Amino acid sequence: MSYSKQDAVARARKDLAARLGVADAEIEDESVAEADFPNTALGAPVGDEMSGMMLTSGWRIRLKAAGHTYEYRADRNQVRLYNFKGANHKV
Amino acid sequence: MRRNYTVHLALAAMLILLALIAGQVRRWDWHSSNFEVRVEKKRETFEPRDVPRALESNTGEPEVLVRFKPGVSEERIQAIAARLNDRVEDEIESVEGLVAVDDMDGESVSEVVRDYSALAEVEYVEANETIRVEPMAEDFGQSFAGYPEELNGPNDPRLGEQWGLINTGQREGKAKADISALGAWSKTHGSERVVVAVLDSGVDYTHQDLVNNIWHRPADMEMYFDPQLGVVDDEYGFSAIGSETDDARDPMDENGHGTHCAGIIGAEGDNNEGIAGVNWTVEIMPLKFMGKGGFGSTKDAIEAINYVIQRKREGVNVRVISASWGSRQKSRALEDVIRKAGEADILFVAASGNDSENADRTPHYPANYQLPNVLSVAALDRRDQLASFSNYGAKNVHVAAPGKEILSTWLNGGYEEHSGTSMATPFVAGVAALVLSVEPNLSVKELRARLIESVDKLDALQGKVASGGRINAARAVGATR
Repeated sequence: MSYSKQDAVARARKDLAARLGVADAEIEDESVAEADFPNTALGAPVGDEMSGMMLTSGWRIRLKAAGHTYEYRADRNQVRLYNFKGANHKV
Repeated sequence: MRRNYTVHLALAAMLILLALIAGQVRRWDWHSSNFEVRVEKKRETFEPRDVPRALESNTGEPEVLVRFKPGVSEERIQAIAARLNDRVEDEIESVEGLVAVDDMDGESVSEVVRDYSALAEVEYVEANETIRVEPMAEDFGQSFAGYPEELNGPNDPRLGEQWGLINTGQREGKAKADISALGAWSKTHGSERVVVAVLDSGVDYTHQDLVNNIWHRPADMEMYFDPQLGVVDDEYGFSAIGSETDDARDPMDENGHGTHCAGIIGAEGDNNEGIAGVNWTVEIMPLKFMGKGGFGSTKDAIEAINYVIQRKREGVNVRVISASWGSRQKSRALEDVIRKAGEADILFVAASGNDSENADRTPHYPANYQLPNVLSVAALDRRDQLASFSNYGAKNVHVAAPGKEILSTWLNGGYEEHSGTSMATPFVAGVAALVLSVEPNLSVKELRARLIESVDKLDALQGKVASGGRINAARAVGATR
């Protein structure tokens, strides 16, 4: 699947809602901005994975829920949750 | 009676004379374009026209190339040129009758062409064109200023955008802040006997600028067999993973990253298409362990390296692995298999990482493995400065190479510009392959040392990379220029 910005935001919202056990309406789009990441894992590698050392353009998606801000990183190929409780996650 | 005899004798003489004249006319061959008369079986002598002494010497390039028909002797060619106030500047021995002719009396090229075209002895004549590589980008209009004219580049139309190979200062770059590719190409264009494995997201092995430089499993070699994987058809290389659509282990690139790296190493050169790689000719072995997303597991990377080592033992001349990937995770298993690759005389060229960090303090793997066959690469920009994103390390990063705004091959026959130590790494892998094309018996230790010792030292890299310098392809291959 290839993600558009809107697709990526929708997927991020859905993931966060599920993770936090909240309704979609309780999630706020704080910011969605184009960003360059340092590698093809969007600077958010998971586990022992290796990624390409190429600057990769995508979107930095900040969602707010329950008083906290959560950062998702996405490009056309993937959506990742960055540094959630100390770990990165592929969505 | 006597008078009749005299008359008859006179008439006979006249008839004989007429017959002689008629016979001669039949042998005359009128040339319709300029009414030049050529007499068969009779050698013409040419009287040279007066040559203005002021134009006797001509230090320019010869104006035309003329091919005389078979059977026209060298003496005759020289005589014809002299008659036309020209000089035979050179004979092309490998092509009978082909000479380069220099005009000595100030005629235009078209006039010289016309002169020779009119001669029956001439098969063809053409103007001696000066071949230049013209940059294609709109925002610069210079040729390769500062480079000797005789260092002719390949005819790839987008070469002018490849500052990493030839930096003329395009797009506010710094002239000659490149890998000295032109100088290296005066000695070698690479070799199809050298195999470079691109361990990555696969390679689009159908790309028009790569297709002729892709390794194929030799006809007399069986498909790859692994006890756990079973039989794998490695016609175009190996994949440790299935694709998005099926499980077939096809190393076709679904991301683009591997194709981009492959193009830097060996996009076919001088094919009037796209770009040129560091090697115009080479064999690229696609090894896929990263999928469409551009990431993959350590285990799959190990699987792919294991494949290369096996094939090397079976006679495939893989000498370099280009590894434009990594993470902060250290893996002893990965380190062990890279060590084994070194024992199989394979150089492992790795990206130092894009975190703007000192790799001596914050290691990045596999570039940071302390192995005798590992070469870690930092990225430079077009002004010979360390790229802002590039990792560095006076001890653990060894050389630098162009890595910002690098044009190369992409999916679906395309070309894109990308940045990263991913891009710098294949420049070094490519230069390693160039060296091996002229010195195939260098050990991996010698090859690694050559790449490090032949760098151009840069102030910007002092204390940043171990060699203190940018890779220099010309010096690495021993080119004099």
